[in-house]
Amino acid sequence: MNRAKNIFKILTLIFIFDFLSGCYQHFPLDQDLTRTQNTFLNQDSVQVQFPKIIKDKITLFAMVYTHCPDICPMTTYNMYLIQNNLPDDLKDKVEFVVVSFDPERDTPSVLKKFAEIRDLSFDHWVFLSGDKQNTKEVMLKFDIKAIATDSSYDKNGELSYNMIHTDRISLIDQKGRLRSNYKGSTANINEIIKDIKYLEN
Amino acid sequence: MNLLFALLLVFSNPSDKIKIIDPWMRVGAQGQSTGLFFKIQNNSDKADTLYKVEFEPAGLVQIHETYDAGNDMMGMREIKEIVIPAKSTFELKPGSYHVMLMKLKQNIKKGFVGNATLYFKKAGKILIKVEAKEMMNKQMMEYKH
Repeated sequence: MNRAKNIFKILTLIFIFDFLSGCYQHFPLDQDLTRTQNTFLNQDSVQVQFPKIIKDKITLFAMVYTHCPDICPMTTYNMYLIQNNLPDDLKDKVEFVVVSFDPERDTPSVLKKFAEIRDLSFDHWVFLSGDKQNTKEVMLKFDIKAIATDSSYDKNGELSYNMIHTDRISLIDQKGRLRSNYKGSTANINEIIKDIKYLEN
Repeated sequence: MNLLFALLLVFSNPSDKIKIIDPWMRVGAQGQSTGLFFKIQNNSDKADTLYKVEFEPAGLVQIHETYDAGNDMMGMREIKEIVIPAKSTFELKPGSYHVMLMKLKQNIKKGFVGNATLYFKKAGKILIKVEAKEMMNKQMMEYKH
């Protein structure tokens, strides 16, 4: 009788362990981004398809606007810090994609200047500018919002505005699946590097 | 040139009631915007107010505040002035208050040093030298740990 009880206890423990390990997911988020492609111009005005351009690569993705003096440069800089702190064997396996949610002002040449002044190498970085529709579709995919505020015209008649926007860095796996979102400007660099290592393994 | 600047500093802020600490600016490309940051130490017994900033390589300069707009969104807005209470230090820093330098007339590369003029209601005009960095070294270190 006791033997039967012990076997029952052991089987119960195995069941609980199996159930709990099945529940654990390192990345609860798993969204396929490859079902549709969007057309953009890269910083050299070459037409590219996103996410096709990051096929088979781990990717860090962010949306910014170059007129932002604070949050967007911080987000970009955090991505740069992540790149610099990646282990050597991962440096060629991670891509960095930055898309403007302000494409009317952020033309390819403007984005190129934004990248070059920060010494970002286009070997692993790409900056994308698209039309309204493609930009909107990518914003919807990543649930990113950007709203123009404080619009005004200067003495030369030039429109000026700021933007309230989502502050985010996203992690995409080698299969083009969105796996995690992080705060962009205050990102925990070590946490993101750890997640990149997890994807590589 | 440096001597002239030092003299200007001395004569522009003889009382040392307001002290500007660790000024720096983020790099920025010509035609784009960037941020200027520093600490304001008010050593006097009265509050003072920063109400204007000038920076020659910028076409437009405004005092700004970055704010949390909720739902993972961040925003930025112009503010008219910053009041620094007596015997206190106020920090303009990334993700918070900053001076927004817009319509840059030239590339502000890492290592570039420019002169900014800060206007206070009581202390008057204070000239500072500002070096361009991507981020303050201290913040870089914090991120690495």
